[in-house]
Amino acid sequence: MNYSDIGMDTASLAGSLESKLAAVRGAGFAQVMISASDVVGHPGGTAAGVRVVRDSGLTITGLEALRDFEGLSGQLHAYKVDVAKSMLEICGQIGGRLLLVEASTSTHADTGLDAIARDLSKLAVMAIPLGIRIAYKGLSWSRTARDFRTAGDLVYRANCPNLGLAIDVFDVLAAGVPQDDLDAIDPQQIFIVQLSDYMWQEARSTEEQVATATHFRVFPGEGAHSEALAQFVTRLDAYGYYGDYSFDVYNDDYLQMPPETVAERALRAAEWLGETVLRRALPVPNMERLLGPAGP
Amino acid sequence: MTNALDREAVPDSRNPLGFDGIEFIEFATSHPQALGGVLEAMGFRPIARHRSREVELYRQGAMNIVVNAQPADLPRTAQPVERPVISAFAVRVRDADLAFRRALDLGAWGIPVRARAMELNIPAIHGVGESLVYFVDRHDKFSIYDVDFNTIPTVDPHPPALCGLHFFGLVQYVGTDRTADWVAFYSQIFGFTALPNKVRFGIMPKGLLLQSPCRNFFLQLIEPDETARFAPMEEHLQRIGLGTPDVMAAVADLERRGVEFLATEQVHSSERGALTKPLLGSVMFELVKSPAEEPAPQR
Repeated sequence: MNYSDIGMDTASLAGSLESKLAAVRGAGFAQVMISASDVVGHPGGTAAGVRVVRDSGLTITGLEALRDFEGLSGQLHAYKVDVAKSMLEICGQIGGRLLLVEASTSTHADTGLDAIARDLSKLAVMAIPLGIRIAYKGLSWSRTARDFRTAGDLVYRANCPNLGLAIDVFDVLAAGVPQDDLDAIDPQQIFIVQLSDYMWQEARSTEEQVATATHFRVFPGEGAHSEALAQFVTRLDAYGYYGDYSFDVYNDDYLQMPPETVAERALRAAEWLGETVLRRALPVPNMERLLGPAGP
Repeated sequence: MTNALDREAVPDSRNPLGFDGIEFIEFATSHPQALGGVLEAMGFRPIARHRSREVELYRQGAMNIVVNAQPADLPRTAQPVERPVISAFAVRVRDADLAFRRALDLGAWGIPVRARAMELNIPAIHGVGESLVYFVDRHDKFSIYDVDFNTIPTVDPHPPALCGLHFFGLVQYVGTDRTADWVAFYSQIFGFTALPNKVRFGIMPKGLLLQSPCRNFFLQLIEPDETARFAPMEEHLQRIGLGTPDVMAAVADLERRGVEFLATEQVHSSERGALTKPLLGSVMFELVKSPAEEPAPQR
């Protein structure tokens, strides 16, 4: 497979970390997004989990997910800083260069823009010595950033070079964010794009969106919104996004299926994406990093 | 009128920490005698030994170099091995505690207190790779070394500098596309500012220069060559830059003391600067032409 910039999430798979990584690799993927709980939950301990990831031969898309970080104060803030440090350390240990951060849903969060931007900037500075980038993702049920456009404003405000956006196509498919909102985002600011679909036409209420997002996602090409998803990805591509795609598919059924079977479904999604949507010729030129213009 | 400044964006002070140069630079090595030999050839003299740790202080003029052979007791700090590495530098600030707490607020990683009874607690944060950055204050009121170090008897505690040598800067190797990250780190936490590309000192022009808020100290950030872009990220403090008003006189003086300088077509001693041959694996010093007083950028 030549889609080296498309990866799976370990969160989509059942089983031990070893069997998840073997399934991802066995299907032919070159990269994988690691759930922190898979590493620290390893029966042999965190160090053993780290070793398994490092020995897998897979490129690490990143570590997910730091939640409810921004907007807190006092003891709560200090506590979350400790959580963030722990996740950054694990991310560094597994060879990850990206930490996914989901916008806060905490009722304790101060939703003032300056407070959020200050916390995001602090998190980004914390990640600099470890060589990690922070990808901030809006959630439609968040109190601080409901979509990628708001998240983009906050990232712009926080103004740190290793702070960027994670865009989840679910925003567009389920929460009704207009695709045109992409025009407000600098493609350089997008650090990762997460792709998934779902089976029904609409998720109307917030509760329904939360339930759909956390239990009923399917791989791209499997759901009811293939056309909109394809449009969005084509637009990103034309827009100059050259980063990674990862399948953030959280599905309770997939957690009751053999990981190899689920990984095969993911592979079909990657092929659909690469061949039908992005119409890539082989070999894929995207495998190499694009170099900047020569000269000063 | 409630706020006299609320109609215009008046920038913050250029030097919020009262940054005032470098107090010391530290090497870690398990072979401190070998490094000591190199430092002595460069004009440094051993002055004092730490009371409780295997640490020695070398000095020349206003420059202090600490040689640390104590096994590291903290994660992400340099474990002394045979090949010496630059493991820390200490910045002089107006209020070390304030600077340290401000740095933590901005996202720096502090290290736990390690001082034993009656020793100085010098606050520090994690820097590039396995290095630390210390904050030192009241450097003009008393010597921090009087507290933690025993002076070596009979040596002059203030050996003069050869040819006006003084700390000019540090060269830091950074990973691919990581310059902007480190510019953000040093500018937010310490108030460094990036200099325009046309400003260059010495004979090694690669990378990007950052100037300290006191204007007397520089960091040079260098990314890997194109061919090494895909190699694993290696980031560390690579070498010390020493300023001198007369590079050729300093080169002649140091050569008499047995120091060898690179003399290739690309890199050779000149009025602008010079570079010593690497010793003990990777220890190099760069000489840079600079006035003894505040160096003005060459435009």
